Amino acid sequence: MSATKPIVHVSNVFKYFGQLAALNNVSLDIYPGEKVVIIGPSGSGKSTLLRSINRLEEVDRGQIVVDGMDLYAKENDINAIRMELGMVFQSFNLFPHKTVMQNLTMAPIRLKKIPRPQAEDNARRLLKKVGILEKAGVYPTMLSGGQQQRVAIARALAMNPRVMLFDEPTSALDPEMIGEVLDVMVTLAREGMTMICVTHEMGFAREVADRVVFMDQGQILEVGTPEHFFEAPEHPRAKKFMEQIL
Amino acid sequence: MPDKQEVRIDVSDGAAIPRKRDIGLFSAWWISLIGALGCIAYLCLAKPEPYLDILKFLPDGILVTFEVTILSILLALFLGLITGLGRISKNRTINLIASTYVEVVRGIPLLVQLFYIYFALGQVFSNLPNPADVAESMAAWPGIIVYVVVGVVGFLKDMPPLVAAVTAMGVCYGAYMGEVFRAGIESIDKGQTEAARSLGFNRRQTMFLVILPQAWRTILPPVGNEFIALLKDSSLVSILAVADLLRRGREFASVTFSYFEAYTMVALIYLVITLILSKGVSAMETRLNYYVRD
Ligand SMILES: Nc1ncnc2c1ncn2[C@@H]1O[C@H](COP(=O)(O)OP(=O)(O)O)[C@@H](O)[C@H]1O
Ligand SMILES: [Mg+2]
Repeated sequence: MSATKPIVHVSNVFKYFGQLAALNNVSLDIYPGEKVVIIGPSGSGKSTLLRSINRLEEVDRGQIVVDGMDLYAKENDINAIRMELGMVFQSFNLFPHKTVMQNLTMAPIRLKKIPRPQAEDNARRLLKKVGILEKAGVYPTMLSGGQQQRVAIARALAMNPRVMLFDEPTSALDPEMIGEVLDVMVTLAREGMTMICVTHEMGFAREVADRVVFMDQGQILEVGTPEHFFEAPEHPRAKKFMEQIL
Repeated sequence: MPDKQEVRIDVSDGAAIPRKRDIGLFSAWWISLIGALGCIAYLCLAKPEPYLDILKFLPDGILVTFEVTILSILLALFLGLITGLGRISKNRTINLIASTYVEVVRGIPLLVQLFYIYFALGQVFSNLPNPADVAESMAAWPGIIVYVVVGVVGFLKDMPPLVAAVTAMGVCYGAYMGEVFRAGIESIDKGQTEAARSLGFNRRQTMFLVILPQAWRTILPPVGNEFIALLKDSSLVSILAVADLLRRGREFASVTFSYFEAYTMVALIYLVITLILSKGVSAMETRLNYYVRD
C-alpha cells in the first residue's frame, strides 16, 4: 500500500477548543480504496478529526492534504476539495425544503454544472442503489430515519466523491433501521470506495475495515486490523474500551 | 429531528394573527370585520351626507397609505436582510456596524426619526448649494460624475415628503426586520450549513439556497406582522404632508368641520384593512408549512 500516495494525509494535527486539545498531534494516512474505522470513547476527538479532513473544523497546527491538495494552501479552493469528500452525518441533515430528488441533484447541477436530466438519471441510479427510488418525489420529513440516512448517503455520492466520511451514521437510528444503512455502506465498501467511518458497529468493522484506529483524549493510541482489536488490543485504554462495547 | 424548525419568532406589534385552533380569536376576527363593515354600510346608508362623501374622498389616501407601506417594507426587507446577515457575520466590523444600527434606530421613536429625516436633515439639505452652481464649480470633472452629483444635490435639496417618509419608515423597520432575519437564520439547525458546505457550496450559496429558503418559514409570519404594524404606523407620515388615509380624513374634516364623522370612517377603514391583512398573514403561515409532517 505504501507504494501509492495517500489520498488523505493528516500529519501532526492539533486542534484546541479553548484549553482542551480535541486533536493532540494526530497523524493518519489513508490510501485509495482503503476502509478505515475510527473508534474511541465519546469526546475522544473522532468527529473533530473527521470534520477536520473537510475543514468543517479549522485545525490550529499541522497539515492536511486531500488528493494532493493542501486544505490550507492559499491557491486551493476548499469548496473544490470538499466536492471530492462526501460526508454523512449522525443527524442526516437532509434539506427539508427540497424533495429527495432535489436533495440529490442540487449540488451536481449547481456546482458541477451537470444538465438536469443527466443529474436526475444519476440520482435515480443512486436512489435505486440505496433502495429508496420510490421516494424520489417526497420531502425528507416523510421518511423514516433509516430512509433519511440512506438518502443522505446517496446525496453525498451524487457528487461522485473520491472519499466518503461517515460520522456515526447509525447512532441516531432506531435499532431496527441500523441494518439497512450498514448494508448500503457494505455495498459501497465492496465497490471499492475509500471510506473513513466513525462507528462503533464492530460487525461492520470486521466485515469491511482494513484498519481500525482507536482514539482517546485527542490522540490516536492504536491502529490495527479489526481482528487485532477483537483479539489482543495492546493499549490498556483500547482494551478497556473494547470490553465495554462488545 | 425537524422539531427544531418549530421555533417561532414572536413580534408583539401588529394585529393578532388568528390561529386555526384559537376559537376565541377566530370569532373575534369575524365579529370585528363584520362589525366594521356593518358600521360603514349602515352609516353610509343612514347618513350618506357626510359619510358617503367621506367614503368617496378617502380611497386616494388608502392608495397612498399602501404605497408608503409597500415601499417602506421593501426598503425594510432589504435593510433587514443585510442587517441580519451583518449581525451573524464573523467579521467584527460588519457585526458592530449592524448591531449599532439596530441599537440606535430602536432607541429613537419613529415619529422623531420622521421629523429628523424630513425637517432636521431637510434643513441641512436645503442649505446645499444650488445644483446649477455645483455644476459650474465641477466643470473640470467628468460629465457623468457631475451629472450624478448634481442629481443627488438637487434631490436632497428639496426632498419630497414621500421619499422622506419611506426612508424614515424603511430605516426604522429595517432594524426590527434585521432582528427577524437574524432570529430566522439562527433558527435553522447548524447541521444544514454543514451539510451544504460539505457538498461544496460556498457561504453565499449555502445562505441563499439552503438557509434562507428554510428561514422564510420563521421569517415571513413576523414580516407579515411588521407589515401590518408598519401600515398602522404609516399614519404618522400624514404629518409630513403625505396625503395618506389619515391625512385625507383630516383634510375632509378641516374643510367640513365633521371631525367625528371623518375620523370614525378613517378608523373603521384602518380596522378593515388590518383585519384582512392579518387573515392573509395567517393563511400564508399555513401554506409555508407544506413540508412539515403533522
Ligand atoms: N465546537 C466545540 N466547542 C467546544 N468544544 C468542542 C466542540 N466540538 C467538540 N468539542 C470538544 O472536543 C472534544 C472532542 O469532541 P468530538 O470530536 O466531538 O468527540 P467524539 O466525536 O469522539 O465524541 C470533546 O471534549 C468535545 O466536548
Ligand atoms: Mg462524535
